[in-house]
Amino acid sequence: MNPDQHALLSAIRQSDPKLSRFDPLPRIITFDDFDRGFCGWTQLVGNYEHSLDAMLPGYAQHSMAMLSTLPQWDFGSHGSFDGTYALKLATKPREGAQNVTVKRLTFRRRGPLRLEFYFTFKPEATEMRLSEADVRSIGFLYDLQTGDQDQDGARIMPHLRFLNAMDGEHVQKWQFKRRTTEVKPIGTENKTISHYHLAPQDWEDLPGGSQKLCYNEIPTKINWHYVCFDFDLETMQATGFRCNDRVFDVAGFDPIRMPAMRNLWCMLNLAFFVETDVAKRANFYIDSICISGDF
Amino acid sequence: MLVQSQAAVIARNETWAGKVATEPHEAGWAREAIVFVRALHDAIGNPGTAQVELSPDGMRWVPEGTVFDLPSKADEVTFARVAHFGTWLRISANLPEGASLVALVTLHLKG
Repeated sequence: MNPDQHALLSAIRQSDPKLSRFDPLPRIITFDDFDRGFCGWTQLVGNYEHSLDAMLPGYAQHSMAMLSTLPQWDFGSHGSFDGTYALKLATKPREGAQNVTVKRLTFRRRGPLRLEFYFTFKPEATEMRLSEADVRSIGFLYDLQTGDQDQDGARIMPHLRFLNAMDGEHVQKWQFKRRTTEVKPIGTENKTISHYHLAPQDWEDLPGGSQKLCYNEIPTKINWHYVCFDFDLETMQATGFRCNDRVFDVAGFDPIRMPAMRNLWCMLNLAFFVETDVAKRANFYIDSICISGDF
Repeated sequence: MLVQSQAAVIARNETWAGKVATEPHEAGWAREAIVFVRALHDAIGNPGTAQVELSPDGMRWVPEGTVFDLPSKADEVTFARVAHFGTWLRISANLPEGASLVALVTLHLKG
């Protein structure tokens, strides 16, 4: 793209209020605004064969994301960033419960990939108190695999979470993960395996990753936050991470890496997850998501 | 613009006994819903009925008025139709003592 084309593209995007609050790379792969519907975001169901009983318990707890107006008992619908609906992901009301929503794509070019989204989180407002340490974490991950002709076949899963609280302590820091659980065969046909990459262990602090996010002053008021995460599909390394006004150093970031699997070539899955720290539902809201690439 | 439509599995492979309810499902965008309950195995005893419930806030629940049989044989499916339900939906049941059911519950929403 020459400078004139780049300037034209920027002018077009900045004249569109929905896109001008993102900084996408030249090619927009998806732009998901939940005022348009679910935009391909679905439930992360665990692997199984012959019986649902084969599903690992971590996955069995997952349920469907919802389109939410962020309704509150004390004032009504909050609404989304600039519309009515946001995507809501809710846990069950059990300490440590998690939920995950996923979008399943494949990639056509190994190169720079940018993820941007606007988000907020709150516990279910079952108590008339601030409840700022009730949501354990919110986060996101890619589930990636190289192409079938690539020499360096691998499955790579970059994970980042905002650890809001742990065991009642209001922690507020970003963490990453480079290990998953042991891979377990599922069923009897030797075609399916499973591992629980969101197991509570093995999270590591992102260096310099402490951040105090705006939480507001009662459990029903929310404020939207911005995240931008850059990842290079060629090198399979993170190249940048921003949240609101903060720019974080990702030199120490590392994804989960494992051998390539037989059915996942060029996989580009993106998932969001939420965990609760107490026996109360935790809600993770996403207003809109832009994934873009440099091609 | 086509209407929105979603099939949402809201309970999967859950063993129901005694008092049970599905998780609160927010679907204020939808004008109508069908809830299906499928038995994944033969029920133990007679599981009885389920009822549709509405809520002003996703936390406090009231009966909508619709009551339907729960399935009792493996792969049997029962359902209820609901419309004009506001923002929140769930189903609840109180299975008789000694009865249990392994359930797959699906909401089909349109609006």
